[in-house]
Amino acid sequence: MKSIIKIAWRSLWRNRRRTILTMASVVLSISLALFMRSMQFGSYEQMIQASVNQVGNLQVHDTGYWENQSLDRAFFEPKGMEKTFENIPGIKNVLPGLKTFSLASYGNQTRGILVSGINPRLQNKQTNLSRKIAKGGYLTKPGEVLIGDNLAKFLKINVGDSLVLLGQGFRGITAYGIYNVAGIFHLPSNDMNSQLLYMSLKDAQSFVYPYQGGLLTDVSVFLKNQSDQSSVKAVLESRLGKKFEVIPWQTMLSDILQTIRVDNVSGQFMLMILYVIAAFGIFSTIMMMTMEKRKQYAVMISLGMQRRRLITVSVVETFIVAFIGILIGIIIASPILYYLHFNPIPITGDMAKMYLEFNIPPELPFSIKSHIFLSQTTIVLVLSLLSSLYPIIYLSRFNVLNAFRH
Amino acid sequence: MSIIQAKNIYKVYNETNVPVNALNGVDLEIEKGEFTAIVGPSGSGKTTLLNIIGGLDLPTEGDIYIEGTNLKSLSSRKLIDFRLHNIGFVFQAYNLIPVLTAMENTEFILELQGVPKKDREKRAMEILETVDIADKKDHKPGQLSGGQQQRVAVARALASQPKYIIADEPTANLDSKSTEELLTLMKKMNQKFQTTFIFATHDQRVMDKALRIVTIDDGKIVSDTQFER
Repeated sequence: MKSIIKIAWRSLWRNRRRTILTMASVVLSISLALFMRSMQFGSYEQMIQASVNQVGNLQVHDTGYWENQSLDRAFFEPKGMEKTFENIPGIKNVLPGLKTFSLASYGNQTRGILVSGINPRLQNKQTNLSRKIAKGGYLTKPGEVLIGDNLAKFLKINVGDSLVLLGQGFRGITAYGIYNVAGIFHLPSNDMNSQLLYMSLKDAQSFVYPYQGGLLTDVSVFLKNQSDQSSVKAVLESRLGKKFEVIPWQTMLSDILQTIRVDNVSGQFMLMILYVIAAFGIFSTIMMMTMEKRKQYAVMISLGMQRRRLITVSVVETFIVAFIGILIGIIIASPILYYLHFNPIPITGDMAKMYLEFNIPPELPFSIKSHIFLSQTTIVLVLSLLSSLYPIIYLSRFNVLNAFRH
Repeated sequence: MSIIQAKNIYKVYNETNVPVNALNGVDLEIEKGEFTAIVGPSGSGKTTLLNIIGGLDLPTEGDIYIEGTNLKSLSSRKLIDFRLHNIGFVFQAYNLIPVLTAMENTEFILELQGVPKKDREKRAMEILETVDIADKKDHKPGQLSGGQQQRVAVARALASQPKYIIADEPTANLDSKSTEELLTLMKKMNQKFQTTFIFATHDQRVMDKALRIVTIDDGKIVSDTQFER
């Protein structure tokens, strides 16, 4: 093997310029690919993080609630439930919630809305909801609600006005109440601005079932690190038993994941173009090298070298070019990507405003997840080794005497 | 006893529409220690015969035996292995491996044979000293003259102690002085180690040194003469 590597290495440097140019094409393609993928995955991670910040990494419901999101699937908070979430490393925040549908009416206007009962303090800590208030203030007293600006516009209601809610409560009772509009919020989603109403959890519980407190539809669990998700989920499932389901964000945000998958395909297509160009560069070099060495191959086989050893020499040559190219590419790209990961490119102007509305920092983040480096390295190596199919096929059909004659 | 026996060899090339009969019933026996030149005009079939004797090509008809082994019975892989352990080659254009030094070229076949590093280095050095090129052992072919390269090629062929050495026009690219030196060297090796040499040549200087001259024309042996020199 040592002699094979020696011959391969020296053969490469017989034509120094060609080898350097081929390596340069590998360096360029791997660097560009890493840059593109790092940016793409960085924005995906940012998008996912922003959404997870809203719904939680995990949500606990009564079993079956996720499939059929009805108030009938709400549950009374069991005694000591808060202890369930204690002493689990990795949990940052736990937000109990109650969601139900209702009619909201003011004057002659009525609309169907989603009522979300929240813990105002914890919710604000997690989602900065108070910073989304466009008019009025945040929830401070019982009997107060926050509504979206589109809903306010539709109902022609203003801060300080009384809003009537009427809907179906828990266990078939009628839910009704009059609430004071404390503030009008503006969220990035038009749907939310048109249909969402926040009130304190206690008010919501009293609205849907005034006879007994503690009714919940969900408990959102926020984690310090995404990597803890599966272990936390397992602990929660074992502590909660079969009466409750623990749904991960991947299920809750499947539409976002789908959007990311579609976007990822376009990224992969661009990469494919990049790699096809690089692969042709490597392939043409390998082809030239093979044709150039016909006579040398003929001599080596004449002297007694088996074809498979010659094939190994060719494959090793290709591998060396690809490996060094990849290594240099990673050495060049890594510090830049690390810098951009810790110092993301700031976004300014209207785009920055939009990012802020989505509760996303206005910056272009870069991911440095190892799978990006690993996948790009593997692709370039595989493409290079595919290029070495040419000498493999050529040498297995090689005619020694023809090579001597030509 | 003959080490090479060619029996009724025919070789037909069908690479074009018209078949070319390169050899037409050649019978030849070569014994150990011979210093034989196969001569004849261009296109007479001497290189074809040499290729068949060297196991680089197989006859269309007839059989070629090397110490009792019929080369036609060997698979492609076994034939390569057979050449590795039994046949040495010296080519007209030297054909050293350009990326290896003189020493490494000489060691090359020994390495393929799996000879341990220490032994092959010792053997390669001895041979390079014998062919008087040891001082250039670290030079690559591009840094050597034609004569020096051909000496290394002879060293490479001798290093593995093959049963016989095939040399196709070994002096064609050499000047008179280098030719003389090379032939003297080969003759010395022939006498010292009883190495069998078979040349295909046009060169009168080679013929003058040969102990046997086989003349071939139109794919047939037309004369076979032995000399006492």
